[in-house]
Amino acid sequence: MADHEAVKVLDLKGLPCPMPVVKMSQEIGSVKVGEVIEVHTTDPGSLSDFPAWAKSSGNQVLESQQDGGVIRIFVKRLK
Amino acid sequence: MEAALQEKLKGLMASKLSREMRLYLDTCARCGICIEACHAYASMPETRYTAVARAETIRRLFRRYFKAEGRLLPGLGETIELDDAALEKVHETAYTCTGCRRCMTYCPFGIDTQMIQGIAKLLLIGADREPKLLTMLADMSIAKGETIRDTKGAFEQAVRNLEAEVIEKWRGEAGREAIPVGVKGADVLYVALAGKHSIIPAAAIMNAAGEKWSLSYFEAVNFGAFVGNPEKTREISRRIIDEATELGVREVAICECGTAYRVMKHQTGRHPFEVISFVDLMERYLRDGRIRVDRAKLDGSRVTYHDPCQMARNGGVIEEPRRVLRELAGDFVEMRPNRGENWCCGGGGGLVAMGEKDFRMKSARVKAEQVRATGATVLATACENCHTQLSDLNEHYGMGVRVAFLSQLVADALVQA
Amino acid sequence: MADTIYFLILVPMVYLAAAVFVVGIVGRVARILASPPHGSTLRIFPARRASGLRALADTFLMPQARKHTPVFWVFLMLFHLAFLLLILGHLDLIPGVGLMPADSPHMLGGGAVGVAVTLAILYFLLRRMQGPVREISTLGDYLLLLLLLFLALTGGMISWANSWNQANGGFVISKQDFGAYLASLLRFDFASPRDLLPGSHYIVVVIHVFLANLFLMVFPFTKIIHTFFAMPLNRLRRG
Ligand code: SF4
Ligand code: SF4
Repeated sequence: MADHEAVKVLDLKGLPCPMPVVKMSQEIGSVKVGEVIEVHTTDPGSLSDFPAWAKSSGNQVLESQQDGGVIRIFVKRLK
Repeated sequence: MEAALQEKLKGLMASKLSREMRLYLDTCARCGICIEACHAYASMPETRYTAVARAETIRRLFRRYFKAEGRLLPGLGETIELDDAALEKVHETAYTCTGCRRCMTYCPFGIDTQMIQGIAKLLLIGADREPKLLTMLADMSIAKGETIRDTKGAFEQAVRNLEAEVIEKWRGEAGREAIPVGVKGADVLYVALAGKHSIIPAAAIMNAAGEKWSLSYFEAVNFGAFVGNPEKTREISRRIIDEATELGVREVAICECGTAYRVMKHQTGRHPFEVISFVDLMERYLRDGRIRVDRAKLDGSRVTYHDPCQMARNGGVIEEPRRVLRELAGDFVEMRPNRGENWCCGGGGGLVAMGEKDFRMKSARVKAEQVRATGATVLATACENCHTQLSDLNEHYGMGVRVAFLSQLVADALVQA
Repeated sequence: MADTIYFLILVPMVYLAAAVFVVGIVGRVARILASPPHGSTLRIFPARRASGLRALADTFLMPQARKHTPVFWVFLMLFHLAFLLLILGHLDLIPGVGLMPADSPHMLGGGAVGVAVTLAILYFLLRRMQGPVREISTLGDYLLLLLLLFLALTGGMISWANSWNQANGGFVISKQDFGAYLASLLRFDFASPRDLLPGSHYIVVVIHVFLANLFLMVFPFTKIIHTFFAMPLNRLRRG
């Protein structure tokens, strides 16, 4: 599993609902189209939230990895 | 404003004119009894924050386009035109109101300001001026109904990874999953939020009670309701209803999220299962002796409880949390007013999700004072939104309390049999 | 000329006002009943037993107002009770109703209810002209209160003049005269009211009836409609 070249890392661990997705949607505008943001979270819901968010907002989840309790999600800005 | 848009908005408004809505719009006597009811007005006395002024904005549009007297005599000071300036006002009125319905307990007719704001919110959606964040969150929830098949595996894996933390709080029987998912014929389907803080304590408690339960794939919160989009609200609850029906569960327990509970309990019609709040479940376990708690955990703490508006006044979960807290704490005190008359925390209606920190802090001054007056050190509540808002208030006003979920307090005090 | 206008106000306009009142209210209620029901509950909690009775109490005793605005509540109760008595008192003028003895020169309440209503209206006006209530008030709110005030004042004058009847026979219009006028209206005989109401303050009666006609005609189209909607609304709240 090769890491993706992320231009930004967001630490969203332990945030209340719905802050992880809110922060993500705010930050996606700060990178260029085609660039990748790496998200760190501990919320299991993020694993279905982020792909669903990506689908409805027209972006892409490249990959998610789980390492013990920490979840890493790579999101690519598509538009 | 273009004529076409105006027509569209009028149509949207018409779609909201139910019997009840017409009664609400027709009746206000502008007596002003509700003025002091709103926490926003009580914290910063500006007329625009009163329930009557908020509703009046919508009433004036209603009279202008739907009432003969408004069309004939627009000059009596009781109508406004649907234009950009009006929409600005509509926005302000809708998104400074938390939909707490406290004003309903003051009004001699019980006029439901939140329901009237439903028109405001729908107009904003129609004019593409609603808070985009809330729509985005609602869309995400709906998309999840479709993507869930692909993401199920990863979600289950993540849940497995949490089990160790559940077991720390409660050692279950060997061989039983600490967080069961997709259990056919489970007695309880527990609907949590994305965050692990809404899963781990609840899991420990249900395991301690020996419950046959299953964790929902979906999150309980309904952003369709926050943004006031009736179709999206329905679609979002539908996912959970379908899941519960498919698994054939007896009860659906909604996590500590007020809006989620109210929408599911009171606004989605009848189902083949019962809808309860997780607070009900905890209370039942304690009453039936299925779980035991150690009061020593809260020794030396004075505990008070904030009734979330959508749980208490608008949901009916009022005495259950008190019974739970009396089991947990030797020193439990009520804030005043409480129960159905409690002050709103100031975070509802989507405001927490939208940010709006400055307004949220200023408009909830009365809440901070009310909590401070109890002298409590622990402030318990049963709603994610309230928890976030109260934590922000705690910091902003230096309230010096520990804000805690009821489930967290119970899980921390579980006594291993 | 003046006599024609007085006649128009005292007879045809009364019929018109009554018709507008009835048709207006029926239309308004029909409009509501024709709309789709909301579908889910709008009640608030805690749930209490006997919710129907509680809705009734909410409607007629206004406990919410008593709790949050006690002084206002006193005047609200005073106003509504006195208004109810005034309606009864006016109906009692019709010969044969007999709430008061037929030969009594006084209306029900003997003028006191009129004073009570007037005081309450003055309080409402003063309250509306100050503080935050002033800011939520519309022109229509003041016009309605002024209409009520002048209605009550002219009614009070007529009632006061009544009390002179015995001492100054023929100078004023007696309760029985008003009875004859109302009976004539009910018979639709279009008799000249001037013949039935002989007093010199006839013009005050005309103004009073004119204002009452106006009141009936605006009733269905203003917030006074709460008379009919308070109960269903309180039932929604109690669930
Ligand atoms: S619903 Fe709550 S926030 Fe909205 S006007 Fe009423 S009291 Fe204020
Ligand atoms: S208390 Fe009710 S009737 Fe009076 S102004 Fe407020 S909403 Fe209108």
